[in-house]
Parts: sequence; C-alpha cells; structure tokens
Amino acid sequence: MSLLRVERLSKTFGTIRAVDSVSFQVRPGEIYGLLGPNGAGKTTTISMISGLLKPDAGEVFVDGKPFWANPQEAKRIMGVVPQELAIYEELTGRENLEFWGRMAGLSSSEARSRAVELLEALTLTDRAKDAVKTYSGGMKRRINLGCALLHRPKLLLLDEPTVGIDPQARLNILEFIRNLRASGTAILYTTHYLEEAETLCQRIGIIDHGRLLAEGTLGELQERLGGDRVFLLEADFKGTSPEAWGGFLQRFRIIQKTERQLVVAAIGARDPSECLKELLSLPVHVENVTLKRPSLNDVFLQLTGRELRE
Amino acid sequence: MLRILLAKDLRRAWRNPLPWLINLIVPLAMTALIGMVFGGHSDNGALGRIRFAVVDEDKSMLSDFLRGSANQNQGGKYLEPVFMERKDAMREINANKISAVFIIPTNFMRNYLTSREPVSLELIKNPAESIHPAVLEELLGAVVTGLNAISRNFQSEFSDWQAVLEGKEDYHKVSQLIDRAGDKLKTAKNYINPPLVSYEKEEPADETKSAESKSGATNSISSTSGLSKSASAKAGGSKSSSTDSVFAYLLVGLSAMFLLFLASNAMSDLYRELRQRTFERYQTLRDSLVPFIAGKAVFAVVMLLLCSGMMLGGGGLIFRIHWQQPLALMALTAGYTCFAAALFALLVALMPDERRAAVLNNMAGMALGLIGGCAFPANQLPGFLREHVTPWMPSYWFVDTARNLQYGGANVAWGLVVLKLVLLSVMLLALAAILFRRRFKMGLRA
Repeated sequence: MSLLRVERLSKTFGTIRAVDSVSFQVRPGEIYGLLGPNGAGKTTTISMISGLLKPDAGEVFVDGKPFWANPQEAKRIMGVVPQELAIYEELTGRENLEFWGRMAGLSSSEARSRAVELLEALTLTDRAKDAVKTYSGGMKRRINLGCALLHRPKLLLLDEPTVGIDPQARLNILEFIRNLRASGTAILYTTHYLEEAETLCQRIGIIDHGRLLAEGTLGELQERLGGDRVFLLEADFKGTSPEAWGGFLQRFRIIQKTERQLVVAAIGARDPSECLKELLSLPVHVENVTLKRPSLNDVFLQLTGRELRE
Repeated sequence: MLRILLAKDLRRAWRNPLPWLINLIVPLAMTALIGMVFGGHSDNGALGRIRFAVVDEDKSMLSDFLRGSANQNQGGKYLEPVFMERKDAMREINANKISAVFIIPTNFMRNYLTSREPVSLELIKNPAESIHPAVLEELLGAVVTGLNAISRNFQSEFSDWQAVLEGKEDYHKVSQLIDRAGDKLKTAKNYINPPLVSYEKEEPADETKSAESKSGATNSISSTSGLSKSASAKAGGSKSSSTDSVFAYLLVGLSAMFLLFLASNAMSDLYRELRQRTFERYQTLRDSLVPFIAGKAVFAVVMLLLCSGMMLGGGGLIFRIHWQQPLALMALTAGYTCFAAALFALLVALMPDERRAAVLNNMAGMALGLIGGCAFPANQLPGFLREHVTPWMPSYWFVDTARNLQYGGANVAWGLVVLKLVLLSVMLLALAAILFRRRFKMGLRA
C-alpha cells in the first residue's frame, strides 16, 4: 500500500492555475521525484500535501487516510523539508534539532538523544555547539534536513533540498537520502535537476504549468520516445518543412526542431543503421548526426517543447 | 509547549540583543540628557544656578540693597548675579552667556520713595533660553509685589525716610522711624516670613485633579505675596526626596514610549518567523497555530517586563530615583506591557506585509507615545488632542497614573487602571486571534 496517495489535486491563485489535477503515489522505501522547472507547481503540490495550503479540489491520503480528516495524525508520520532554510540562525545546530524535536512531540530526553544521533549521521557533531549562522551553505542544508527527521517520519517530503550548494555537499545529502530510503522511508523529492532525478529516484513525475505530464521509471519515460535511442541532426533547417519530406512523419517522431538542430526518434522497432541512412538522404545538407540514449531532458523536451534548463 | 517556545525566543533574543539594547539604552540616555538640561536632581538645585546680569543705573542705597540681596542666603544657591554696565550686559546676553539682564533704572529710589510712579524694574530675557528667564521673571514679579506692598504700608513714612537717607535728619528721628517700622513689621511678621519667594512642593493630587495640574515639572516655582499665600508656602521642600527629581518624571514617560517600540520589536518577530519559514515548518508539525502565536505574545510580555525592570529599576538606580509605590508601579507596568504586546499582535495580524508593518508599527508607537503625554506633558498638547484624544490613550493612562503614584501620594486609583489595561489587552488579543485564523483559513501561506 502506498504511504502517500494524491488524487486530482488542484489549486488556483487568482487566475493562475498553479496545480491542475495532479495524481501520483509514493510507496514505502521509494523515492518519487517530481521533476519540473521553477514555477511548475512542485512547491504548491508539497504545500497542499503537508497541510500548508488547502487544495481547491482533490484529495491527499497519508497512510491510507484522508489528510484533512485528521491533519495532526497525518503530520505525525510526515516530515517536511522546505526549500528555504527554515531554521533559527541564532541557535546552535543541536538547539535547532532539539527544538524541532520538541515541536514534533518528543520528550526532552528523546529530543536530546535523537539530536545527537542525527548530528552524527549528518557529520555535524563537531559543529553541534556553534550557531547555525556560522555554518557553510551545505551544513545549513543538512541541519535543515535533520530538523524534519527528529520524529522518524515514515513519509518525507523534500522540496529541492540541494538548491544552491556545492557538488560535494550535494553528494553528501543525496547519499543520506538514499540511506533513508533503504531504511524504508517513503520520499517525495522535488527537483529541477535532471541528474538528481535520474540517479536518485525510482519513479519520476514530470510536471509543468501545474500539470503532471508523465510519470514512470526512467526506462518507462525513455520508452515514450520510441526506444532507447534518439538521433540529433545538425543542419540548416531554416525554412524547411518535415511534412514535405515524403512520409518522414510516419517513420520518425520529432522531439525538437530549431534552425540548426533536429532531434528525432524512430517510430517502431527499426534498425539504427537503416534509420541513419534515411536521415542522411533527407533533402537538406546534414552536417552531423549523433545517436544517443534519450535523457530525461529529451523526455521533457518532447512533452513540453522546451528544455528543462531554459 | 509555551515554555519551549518561550525558551527558544529568549535564547534568540539573548544571542542577538542589539535591537533590544538600542530600545533600552535610548530612553535612559534621553532621560539623562533632558534631565541634565533641566538641572537634574534637586540636590543640585533642581534648575541649576541661574546666571544673570544686574545693571544698576540708579546707584542709590535702595538699588544697593536690591543688588546685595540678589545672592544672599537661599538666593545664592540658585542665583548667580553678575554686576555690569548695560552695554556689557547686552553683549553677554547676545553671546548667550547669561539668562537675563535685570536693570534698576535711573531715579528708581527717588520715584519709589516719592511714589511718583509705580515700581518699575526692567528685565531683558535671553530668547535662547526658556526656563531660567521665566524663573527670573517670576522672581522679579515677586520683588515688585513686595516693594509695592511695603510702599502701601509705609507710604506715610517715606518722606521722613528719604530725609534720613539724604542725611537731613538726626539720630532721634532715625530711632523713632525704626521703632515705628519695627511695630509695623511685627504685625506683618506672620505674612512675610517665610520669604516671599520659595520653592514649594506640589500638593498631593486628588482624584478629580485635571490633567493640566498633574503634568507640571517636579518643582513648581511660586511667587507668592506674603499677605495672601505665604502661610501655605514651605521653604525648601523635602530636600533629597526623589519626588523632586525631574528624572523620574521623564523616565516614566520615555519608558512608556520605548516599551511600545520594544513590543513592536518582540511581536515583529512573527514576521521574521514567517520570512524564515520557521512558522511554516511549525505548521507542518502542528495543526493548531494558537500555541505559536500565544508563545510570541508571552515572549513579548516577558521581554517587556524584563526591559521595564531594567528601565525603571536600573534607571532608578542610575538617577537615584526612589520610587514611591514600587508594587503599584510594577502592577501598572505589567498591565501596560500586556496592552503593548496585545496591540502589536493585532497590528501584525492586520498587516501581512512586513515592510509596511514596520512603518505602521513605528507610527503607532510614536503616536501613542506623543499623544499619550510620554514625551511632552499632556497639558502642552494642542487643545483638541488634550481634551478629546489623550484621555483615551492607554499610554496616557499608564504614564499619568505612574506619575501620580510618584508625585501624587497614596490615593491614586492605580488598580482600576491596571484592570482597564488588562481588559483591553484581552480584547485586542482576541481580535488578533480572529484575524490570524481568518488569514490562515483564506489559504494564505504562513
């Protein structure tokens, strides 16, 4: 049974539909990645799941029970790591952890011992007594993460937890998250970094303009493009029309077309060399052809017509 | 829960004390500064020594007598006359070195003794000063009143005295005149002793006393004609009593005003919690927001109590103020801190935007302080404010009652004022809670 089930969740701010009928599930021991550009609706979705915002429509089920039937019970098994550093900079790392532990309902001694454990796990023990304002960006991110884990939540909502930190600190946090998954925690992970989604998440949902465009494992998403390869052609495509290239659209799916590039995937199981021959015989002077495995960016490109990095 | 939230906020305040220290130090510094300007503690003579020039253009025995008496006995403690020519005196006053020029005009004695004209002395006041010239004017008025009184009572003898002073009479005549003057003075003794001019302690304020009569300075300088009011006048007043200290008067007002700014700072911490998303994080853990907001109000009250203790207690030690009714003052301060915390909780609930709120809160604090008579005496305010607005200001309730406790004696109804402040606090907090609930229900992000 899934720990988190989201059904047709919607939220509108004025005339802007921030989240439009989004549905997905997260199972125990799974990292579900919600991938999308800034402003896609990821944070609004997390805010509705964690009870910060009331959805206009749809339902959130936590551990099989509707969230709004008993929000406090749902919050007890949920840990939320906001995108911003929601910690007290004047307090020490230990004091922050202990305070949020108390807020999560732990006793004083439980909060203290759990804070020691987490400081150890987050490799912050030697800085435990320093004020957080003296920490580096990566250390602050780790404390921010730790503050959501005091009460050992079964469901963890991570809203872009690695934004703005150096690669080494990011690797440390990702490793920590993998360990959490290994211990059975269900994790909803929002990001706009393709690499994180590809390497960390078991299943990925692609979201843009508030709508969940596709979801599945990385393989399943790649399959949507028609197999495990795409062709990238470089030529002068200015003023050309693929519709006029005699049956081209029946044999290839166009993923992206610009004045200098054409990205296509073959329709159906066809031999790559045969496809290559067809592409080189197009009525344009092809300067270069690259054959590559489709990435999440290609999937996003195909779904939205633009790159995730734009 | 409240205890944990309070401990967290106190720790944060302890680690970042600057905003608190500024609002603590400013009223103490302002009290010291303004208090010094007005002469400080009564031990030093309340208003300090008044330096003024005496220009004697008459050069008569009577003018010599007036010159000589200017700094005798008690007068020497408060007055510092310097004798010079009119030209030099004008130069001194223009250089702002003296408070006034007192001129005894030519033929002053002759005119007085012949009663040709009413007594006339000239006083040129330094326009750059306000208090000292006014005191001298009052003193001079009293001198003139006294001289006129003598003139009325000894008019029949003046021609004889003039002859004596001009050396035209013998010793027998002089002894007769002294004898008769002695008899008359014996009769008038009860009226002209104590002296015509004295420092008089204010009468205890009664319940119905108007705002004007309550808000004067610590020492009132009265010029009394011995014939009418001298029986009630007291020379001196209680010399070392704190009731004579201008610092107590100032400290109460400035503390009341800066407690509002401190309350604003404490409750504005909610904005910081919203901005730093810690309030949001709390919401992901707890369903009820009431403890968090109540915790902030408790934090504000605790901080204000600590700060008021430092301001009034510490300030009392620094300025050697002996609070007359400390327990009543503490209760009153506690009520006022509740009001201040509740007021700014309401303002935070009303104003979601932090920057706008900062402006609004400062203006609210300033307005309450100024209209409530914290910075200026209430009777100096424009008539409309004084009559129709100030009496409704909780800051005025506090300041006026605290000052009455200090200067007014035992019969001040402070309990009623505390009750009023606490009831108002409860109402404001309830309103703030309703507004907060509405904000969150509308789906506004914390």
